Amino acid sequence: MSNVLVWIIWFLAAGGCLATGVAVVSVTNPFYSALALIGNLASLAVLYLLLAAEFLAAAQVLVYAGAVMVMFLFVVAYLGGRADAPWAGGPPLLRAAAVVAAAALLVEVVVVVGLAWGDNLQEPAEVSDSFGSPAEIGELFVTSHLLAFEITSIVLLVAAIGGVVLGTTPEKEEAE
Amino acid sequence: MQVEWYVSLIQALVVINLVMVTFAYLTLAERKIMGRMQLRYGPNRAGPYGLLQPIADLLKLLNKESFQPTAAIDWLYVLGPFLAAFTALTTFSVIPFGPGWEIGGVYVPGQVADIDIALILIFAIGSIGIYGFIIGGWSSDSKYALLGSMRTCAQLVSYEVSLALSVLGVVIMAKSLSLTAIVEAQSDTVWYAGPQFVGLVVFSLAGTAETARAPFDLPEAEQELVAGYHTEYGGMRFGLYSMSEYINLITLSGLSVTLFLGGWHGPGWEGATWAGPLWFIAKLLILLFLFIWMRTTLPRLRYDQLMRFGWKILLPVAILNAIVTAIVVVAV
Repeated sequence: MSNVLVWIIWFLAAGGCLATGVAVVSVTNPFYSALALIGNLASLAVLYLLLAAEFLAAAQVLVYAGAVMVMFLFVVAYLGGRADAPWAGGPPLLRAAAVVAAAALLVEVVVVVGLAWGDNLQEPAEVSDSFGSPAEIGELFVTSHLLAFEITSIVLLVAAIGGVVLGTTPEKEEAE
Repeated sequence: MQVEWYVSLIQALVVINLVMVTFAYLTLAERKIMGRMQLRYGPNRAGPYGLLQPIADLLKLLNKESFQPTAAIDWLYVLGPFLAAFTALTTFSVIPFGPGWEIGGVYVPGQVADIDIALILIFAIGSIGIYGFIIGGWSSDSKYALLGSMRTCAQLVSYEVSLALSVLGVVIMAKSLSLTAIVEAQSDTVWYAGPQFVGLVVFSLAGTAETARAPFDLPEAEQELVAGYHTEYGGMRFGLYSMSEYINLITLSGLSVTLFLGGWHGPGWEGATWAGPLWFIAKLLILLFLFIWMRTTLPRLRYDQLMRFGWKILLPVAILNAIVTAIVVVAV
């Protein structure tokens, strides 16, 4: 792919990311918020594609834009008008945490821009042909990142059991 | 091998049109076969044997007024059918229908796009297609459409899990997510319909539910929901929804041919290399006939039966199949 095309796609995807990101927190209708979040995840997937991570892009669309967001939309559409609440901001602790996280991101951006300005980011990372392939990611999961992988599986198991517990009504209350 | 861009362009055009023609005549075949099975004639007025019926239907839908409910949300109402049709048409591009040929010094591959992770891509695009149904039902601002889209959503999400897990056995056996590699792996050994018979059964059942075909056509149960999520749609917008459902069925059949029935390979005997697409189409048509047969034979399930079957029977079987396959492949 020529460089110009890459830049055009990058600008479109990055612009889409920012626009949908702003839309997620600024529109009042939660249904539109959820739709904007799907758009955000989709433009992120395009950015992954530009970084030669096809598997990650497809998995991102499948898991987040597909499975997770369907649940969001499902609940929002089900609750209908009652869910229409303007942005409330959340508890003070959440606001403080959001400010801290945003500040951290800003510092990161400033550092990267500073490094690029000072010509310290001239060496591109070496990307092998198999980079981002399912086989390589799978191998990393069971070798150098085994602990994180196993912890994630336990967290998922806890979440699944929690879902079952929350979804089951106690025996005595069953009308059958 | 390097594929020229114009080859891909022509191929995409040809494949997309072939899929659309298959869709058009699938509707006719369905009505004809269902008619025969129910001791009726089926459509027989437009052209000889009713062969022009799909064209007549298309002209009718195109000429209809594009109405919409006054309370509907314009852009989402229009986006819904567009999204559903787009995702349905895109998916077929990665399904291989031949080994690839050298024609006049130009390499023509056996599919529009050969991608390493084609299988995941199909599921990813399919999961985006669900939004077409939800958005359409929600933006119509109608009780029946909303309930229909909720049902579609719940059913599709439930059965998508089983569908994805049922192909895991094939992926483990072929050691690849690329559809061409899976077809090649089957020509070396046996078709995976044998060793992965459980996977095939789960895949077909979950696939039937995923395309909302009888006996799993709960999303459009007429007695309860009028027509489901597309209740408020008419004209070609309804046509696009209908098209996406049929094309999803065609893609699903193509996928099961690729994953379980040896793709473009013949049964034991191959013939020339150009015979590949013919084998593929023959298997595809047999599967489509089975789907139509199933529709005329089986009555619709109840909603709770559908959910219980999906989560308590199909999903455990799919997981067990994947685990057993993994153990066997590692042990042998």
